[in-house]
Amino acid sequence: MSPKSVFYKANSIIYFQGDIGDKVFILNAGKVSLNYEDIETGQEIHDLVKTGEFFGVKSALGRFRREETAVVLADSTVVAFSVPEFEQLVGKHGRVVLKMLKVFSNQLRRIQKQVQNLIHAEEHINPEKGLFSIGEYYLSNKAYDQAIYAFKRYLVYYPSGSRASDAIKNIETAESYLNRYGQGKGPDAAPQAAQPAPAGKPQETKQLSDVAQTYYKAVSLISQEKYDDAYNEFKAIVNSSNDEEYISKSQYEMGRCLFYVKKYDNCIRLFTTWIQKYPKHPDVKDALYFIASSHNAMNNGDKAISIFKKVLALTPETESLYQKARKALRKLEGEKV
Amino acid sequence: MSSFDQMFQRFSKGFPKGSIIFCEYEPGDNFYLIQSGRVKIVKIIGNIEKTLDILNPGEIFGEMAILEEAPRSATAIAMDRVQALEFNRANFEILMRGNPQIALKLMKLFIKRIYDQKRRFMILTLDDTQAKVADVFLMLAEKELPADRENDTIEFKATVDDIAHWAGIQPAECRNVINHFSQQHRVELYNDRIVIRNINDFDRFVKSRRKSKE
Repeated sequence: MSPKSVFYKANSIIYFQGDIGDKVFILNAGKVSLNYEDIETGQEIHDLVKTGEFFGVKSALGRFRREETAVVLADSTVVAFSVPEFEQLVGKHGRVVLKMLKVFSNQLRRIQKQVQNLIHAEEHINPEKGLFSIGEYYLSNKAYDQAIYAFKRYLVYYPSGSRASDAIKNIETAESYLNRYGQGKGPDAAPQAAQPAPAGKPQETKQLSDVAQTYYKAVSLISQEKYDDAYNEFKAIVNSSNDEEYISKSQYEMGRCLFYVKKYDNCIRLFTTWIQKYPKHPDVKDALYFIASSHNAMNNGDKAISIFKKVLALTPETESLYQKARKALRKLEGEKV
Repeated sequence: MSSFDQMFQRFSKGFPKGSIIFCEYEPGDNFYLIQSGRVKIVKIIGNIEKTLDILNPGEIFGEMAILEEAPRSATAIAMDRVQALEFNRANFEILMRGNPQIALKLMKLFIKRIYDQKRRFMILTLDDTQAKVADVFLMLAEKELPADRENDTIEFKATVDDIAHWAGIQPAECRNVINHFSQQHRVELYNDRIVIRNINDFDRFVKSRRKSKE
């Protein structure tokens, strides 16, 4: 079977709205109009098909009823394709598909807007609250990995959001439960709810959340690629805070910033001191990865290779760090040969 | 490794089993093509994690990010160790030009979404809640069965909350309508499914409501 050229006389119909059809058409010569009612206004619309243009694509590919009636206004020749024939044809022509994709994405954007306008305001959940509630859901279901992800994302997007300090506490809870009991296990964790803090030691909690807030604000600067600003924020934490946890985390992030701004010497120096200071920190292998990558960037191939090997020895194969280090190592060793 | 994989390897990203690829409500600017492993698309509805879809290698997800940077409407979780190509609006055209087959796949996804949204629009523009709920039944029937079915009774795995969501009404209101239909013996409501006694009866009902609007 190959695509068939079909002749239609003026005033005939190629297909009716509501028909089930599996053919895609292209207008070779003549005049064809697609008639349908606008779903918003009910107004009857007549769209003329241009020569060389496809029609009937959506209903044939999506396997639903024709959404318009194709009326022949003057004697016309069209080519009819089955869906596989059509796919074969456009599958070879990236430009054609791209053009159609743009038409459909515009249609989709338009209809989505129309639907959004109809849905009542109360159905719209504020994304900030929504993201937080996803974290709460996973935390109370002991899916700590997922909870940590959601709360960390919350802090990236809403570093000074109304629930930022709750998100930090929830991450801490999730991390400690994950370490102590493992994913899916442990006592029921009550996520930090929006209640006022108990009257116990308000001063202390506030100080902690200040450091944490600055920290996550700076983390979000990194994700916006504002490395210099982020570096300064982290440095301020290191200089002024007495919270060892945030000092170690911040120094680590400073090293990352140095790497991204290509100050490789400084990056190596900082991470080397950091590893000596916190040899048991869970991020040591990541720090080594940055040291190795810095050597690599400075063309110290041998040093890079030996440190990448160390990273591999320390990292479980399932982690993406392992894949990254292995890839870098292979590339380096390939260059040497 | 195929030449296609080689060409796009620099966009490839690994996700450990169980990890979140993106999370509902998070702003989205990437979309993905699965190379290996399965991805579960879930949504938290009324404190239950509902699986909307399970996707296999070769399938695309997160594609709405191409259109706009709206918050994600669902969460994507790696069911196995997943390797996926990560794209954004900037490198999207390179991908599509280099591989029309993916563009075609994406085009079909868009076509399906346009249809679903149009159908949703038709439901939402009905005036009364009874007609809205009835039209949701019709929409579900259209999805599940061939157009010319012989049996008038159909059953779908949907809850009152699902129906309310599609009809754009409150769950309590939706329950009232379904209870009313149930008293008339037109539907049977169970915990996990709804049985429609005579779908053609609802078809006539919705058509008459739509006509009276015109």
